[in-house]
Amino acid sequence: MTETLTGSQILCRALLEEGVDVLFGYPGGAIMPFYHALPEFPGLRHVLVRHEQAAAHAADGYARASGRAGVCVATSGPGATNLVTGLATANMDSTPVVAITGQVARAMMGRDAFQETDIIGITQPITKHSRLIEDVEEIEDAVREAFQVAQEGRPGPVLLDIPKDVQNQRGSWTGGRADRRTGGKDSTTAVPAYRPAALEEAARLIAEAERPLIMAGHGVVLAGAYPELRVLAERTGIPVITTLLGISGFPESHPLHLGMPGMHGEVHVNRAIQQSDLIIGLGLRFDDRVTGNLAGFARGAKVIHVELDSSEIGKNVPVAVGLVGDVREVLCSLLPLISPRNCDAWRREIAGFVRPRDESFRADLSPQAILDAISDASDGRCTIVSDVGQHQMWVAKLFRYQRPNSHITSGGLGTMGFAVPAAMGVALARPGLPVWAISGDGGFQMNMQEIATMVQEGIPVKMAVFNNGYLGMVRQWQQFFHGKRYSATPIWSPNYVKLAEAYGIAGHRVESIDQLEGAIAGAAAEPGPVLVEFMIEQEANVFPMIPPGGSLSEPIEGEAATPLVSA
Amino acid sequence: MSDAQAVSVLLEDRLITLTRAVGLIRRRNLPVRSLAIGPTATPGLSRLTIMMQSDIETAERAVQHLEKVIGVRGAIAFPTLDGVARELALVKVRSPHHCYAELLDVIQLYNGVVLDDSNDGLIIELSGSEAFVLSCLRALDAFEVVEVARSGTIALGTANNLQSEAGR
Repeated sequence: MTETLTGSQILCRALLEEGVDVLFGYPGGAIMPFYHALPEFPGLRHVLVRHEQAAAHAADGYARASGRAGVCVATSGPGATNLVTGLATANMDSTPVVAITGQVARAMMGRDAFQETDIIGITQPITKHSRLIEDVEEIEDAVREAFQVAQEGRPGPVLLDIPKDVQNQRGSWTGGRADRRTGGKDSTTAVPAYRPAALEEAARLIAEAERPLIMAGHGVVLAGAYPELRVLAERTGIPVITTLLGISGFPESHPLHLGMPGMHGEVHVNRAIQQSDLIIGLGLRFDDRVTGNLAGFARGAKVIHVELDSSEIGKNVPVAVGLVGDVREVLCSLLPLISPRNCDAWRREIAGFVRPRDESFRADLSPQAILDAISDASDGRCTIVSDVGQHQMWVAKLFRYQRPNSHITSGGLGTMGFAVPAAMGVALARPGLPVWAISGDGGFQMNMQEIATMVQEGIPVKMAVFNNGYLGMVRQWQQFFHGKRYSATPIWSPNYVKLAEAYGIAGHRVESIDQLEGAIAGAAAEPGPVLVEFMIEQEANVFPMIPPGGSLSEPIEGEAATPLVSA
Repeated sequence: MSDAQAVSVLLEDRLITLTRAVGLIRRRNLPVRSLAIGPTATPGLSRLTIMMQSDIETAERAVQHLEKVIGVRGAIAFPTLDGVARELALVKVRSPHHCYAELLDVIQLYNGVVLDDSNDGLIIELSGSEAFVLSCLRALDAFEVVEVARSGTIALGTANNLQSEAGR
C-alpha cells in the first residue's frame, strides 16, 4: 500500500528497512527536517557526537565490528566537510558506511548559499558512490542502492546528499523494497571470475612450492574466512602472515602464525617473505607499507592473489595466478583441490630467522606489560581499537589476538584520532563486550571531545592513552631520518585524570608497573566509560623498522643502527 | 613500450557520471592525451573516448577502475591500430590575398572543407587520424593560424567482436 509521507519520514522508514538501529550524527540547518521526523522512529537510535568527524569514524567502527553498514548524518557545508576524513578512512579500509548529508534547498543550489558546499564533488574520490537526491520519489530507491553498494562486493562508503526542500517534500512510500533487490551492477560483487584452470594452477603451485607463505589481509576478516584459512594452513603446514588489517583473521597462538609483515614487521616475517618462493595473498592489496620497495619485494616468489576487486590484482606486484572473488568463496572452491603436505623444513628455516627482540623499552611500564594486563583482564574477549602511531604498531605486534575481528584500526589512511570515536561504534555493535580504545597522547587529543558523547549516551568505552609526551612515530622518524631535529613533536597534555573527572568518569594514571594491575582491574570493572593514562618511556622506538623506500631485507633493528640523515 | 591506446567507455549521459569517470582518470594519474564525449545510438547512454599514451596493460587497468564506477555500463581498451580512430579539427586561418591560392591548395591536399570564407580568413574542417590532423596543422603553420578547435579522438574497436551497446 502506498502512503504519502515527507521525504524525511521516507528516509527514516527506508533506513529501518535496511536494518539500521543506530545513527551517529549532528544536526544543523539543512538537515533539520530529518531531525524533525526522527523522534517518530524510536527504532533509530541517534547518537549525538561532538564533531561530525567522530560520527563518520563511529559509523566506520560500527561497520567493522558488526559487518553491516554504519550510518552517519550531518548537515550541509561544514557538517558535511567534517565527515570527509572519516569517509576517506572507510574508503581506504573498505568498510561500509552510509553518510547522509543535508544540502541547501534546490532553488539555492549553485548560488553559494549559506552553508552550501559541493559535498558530492568533494567526496567523489573518497567514496565508493555518492548521489544527490533531486526529488522525494528517489529517496526510497537511493537508500536501497546506497546500502547495497556500500555492503556488497568490496565494501566502501556511500554518501547521499539530500536538499532541505526534498526532505520536506511529500512523496509516496511503498516499502518492502529492501526485499526486492534487483542485484544492481557492481563489478566488485563476489561473482568468482576465474577459470577452473586457474584454481588448478593455484593448487599445483601450492603443492609444489618449497617455501610458501600465506599472507592474510582485511579480505579474510571482511569475508569471515577464518575456518577456511585455518583449514588451508593446517592441511598444508604453510605459515600465515597477517597484515595490519588482517590481524585477528588467524589466531595468534597458532603454531603456524608468523606475525605482521612490512615496515614494522618482525625481521623473521620479512625475511621469510624475501626467501619465499610462493606467496598466497588472501584479500589484501600489497600496500607499500607491506611490501617496502617493490623492486626488492620477494623477488623469488610467485604470487597467487585472491581478491574481490579485480583492479587490485597485478596493481602493485606481478601475479602468477589471480583469483577474483570473495576470499571465503574462493577458498571453499580451492580447498578440495589441496592435498595434505607439510612445510616442516621451511618452518625450521624460518625459526632460524627469529631474532631475540631488541628490547627497546628500558622502563618497566612497557607496552607489552600494558597489553598483557588488558588481555588478561578481559580473558582475551575484548576488542582493541587502536589509533595511529607507535602505540598502533605495539598493539598490532604485541597484543595476543585470539578472537576473529578483535583488532580494529585505521590502516590505509592512517587516521590519527580514529580510535576514540570508532570505539564508540564498536561498543554499540558489540554490547556487553569490553572495548578498549588505545591511543597515543597525540591522537587522543584529536577527538577526546567524544568523552562527552560517551557520557551522554552511556557508551562504555575503556580509553587507554599511551603518554610519552611526543608525537612518537614522527619523533622516531626525526631521530633516524632527520638528524634528531624534534621539530613540532613534543606535545603537552592536560591532566587526564582531572579531565576524566571533569567529564564525570573514572580516570587513572599509571606511572609504574606496580600500579598497572590495579588500574586495569578498576577499568575492567567500570560499567561506563573510563580513562587510563599510561606514562611510558619518552623516547622508545618501534623496532624493527624498514626505512621509507627501503626493501624488506634492510631493517633497522635497534638504536645502534646508523642514523640516516635525509638530504 | 608506450603507445596510443583507446579506452572507450559507455556510460549514462549524466554529468555526475562523466565527472566520476574523468575524476577517476585524474586520481589514478593516468596519462591522458585526449577526451571526447558524445551521445550513442542508445538513448540515455554516452560514449567517452579516452586516448592514453601508455602500454595496453595500463589502459586495461583503467578499464578495471572505470568499470567500478556506478553509471558506467562498460569499458574496453584497445590499441588504436586495432580500432578505428578519428578526430575532427576546425581551424581558423588568416587568408591574405597574396597567398589565398596557396592556402586552398593545402586545404585540398588534406581533403579539408572550407566552412566559412570571410574577408580576413577561413574556417576549415579537417578530419582523420590524429597523425593526419597534426600533419595538416603543421602544413597550415606556413600560414597564420588564428584558432584551432579539436574534438579529441573518438574510436571504436573493430567489428570483429560485435557487442551491442543497447541492453548494457
